[in-house]
Amino acid sequence: MKILAIDTSASPVSAALLSDGKLLGEFYLNIKTTHSQTLMPIVSALLSSSGTDIKDIDVFAVNAGPGSFTGVRIGVASVKGMAMPLDKPCAQVSTLEAMAYSMPYSDGIVCSVMDARCNQVYNALFRLNGGKTERLTEDRALSIDELADELSQYSETVYLTGDGAELCSNKFTDCLPNVILTPVNIRFQHAYGTAVAAEKMAAENRLCTSAQLMPVYLRLPQAERELKARLAKNNNKKGEEK
Amino acid sequence: MQKFITKSPEETESLAEQIAKTLEGTEMIAMFGDLGAGKTAFTRGLARGLGVDDGVSSPTFALVHEYSGKYPVYHFDMYRVTSWDDLYTTGFFDYMDNGVMVIEWSENIVDFLPENRINITIKHLSENEREITVEGAKEI
Ligand SMILES: Nc1ncnc2c1ncn2[C@@H]1O[C@H](COP(=O)(O)OP(=O)(O)OP(=O)(O)O)[C@@H](O)[C@H]1O
Ligand SMILES: [Mg+2]
Repeated sequence: MKILAIDTSASPVSAALLSDGKLLGEFYLNIKTTHSQTLMPIVSALLSSSGTDIKDIDVFAVNAGPGSFTGVRIGVASVKGMAMPLDKPCAQVSTLEAMAYSMPYSDGIVCSVMDARCNQVYNALFRLNGGKTERLTEDRALSIDELADELSQYSETVYLTGDGAELCSNKFTDCLPNVILTPVNIRFQHAYGTAVAAEKMAAENRLCTSAQLMPVYLRLPQAERELKARLAKNNNKKGEEK
Repeated sequence: MQKFITKSPEETESLAEQIAKTLEGTEMIAMFGDLGAGKTAFTRGLARGLGVDDGVSSPTFALVHEYSGKYPVYHFDMYRVTSWDDLYTTGFFDYMDNGVMVIEWSENIVDFLPENRINITIKHLSENEREITVEGAKEI
């Protein structure tokens, strides 16, 4: 089974080609240029340099969120566009899960974190055990303090990974001695992890059609409360129409 | 912190033009002030100072206007932003660090703005007079 996976969920962009579990190729760029300009050229370069016809792709996979609003939409729309005319299934992969699948063989807890701003992070926890990855929580948005509280119940090594990992690590070092920041070469999301997650989803019959594929956004509960409070305060002013 | 008094929209624009010269390209400029204070006028001057040729108009309905000058300029109006989802779906956070962000009605989203920003507060003194307070920018 051949899987073409892409990631545009944050500032890097990448595409990976997996064939029966083996990585045939991966392109990764982390430059300022917008994903709408970089993604299709790297996909097309990956296919042509690996001698792969897009018709031979069995599954199209994408990190469908959480992530940046625009980035996730570019990724999802591109995968829809490739899968739809070929009538091929898609894998709507959690960005946080893809990060966990990028971890090399190790035992412990993987804590995937993305910076959601305002001291909030997108996060999910996974347990790695004997080469297996088990999900411990849903994808959610929570404050860094809440995450620290939750992590304090684990005595195993906690691998902090993702673009929010450094932010958390700075706050965790004093209170959580068993937390390790992953090295940069595996810390940020790569389409390889997306492809591995997609392969597992295919085995578990969790693929979807290109029409069903959707971006996944997580709401920030705390941020929303704060905004409501502020808007209530501003209500008088907002009575005026402009 | 610097305070200025301007006596016409043109003076507000030229003050903004001078501030524009001190920018490095990824600043966030949060503007505060009531309806008709002069936030759009200020942005017009700022954009001109960055070499933007297009006309600057209020993004009240579009939420964001993009201009390209010496740096990209992203001009937001948060007047109608009433939920976190609204803010997120303007792509607001994706614009950060990619250009100069200028925000009208920052009052509505101030809790979500980074500490590291420039604040511009415009106060109505009389029909043609405004007091403009600048915080966090380089001295002009
Ligand atoms: N010193 C001054 N500086 C700026 N504008 C002035 C000044 N004196 C008078 N004005 C007038 O005030 C108005 C400012 O309008 P502008 O659209 O810039 O306000 P705004 O703060 O963007 O309002 P809104 O909240 O509706 O977006 C204009 O009509 C302008 O001519
Ligand atoms: Mg205005």
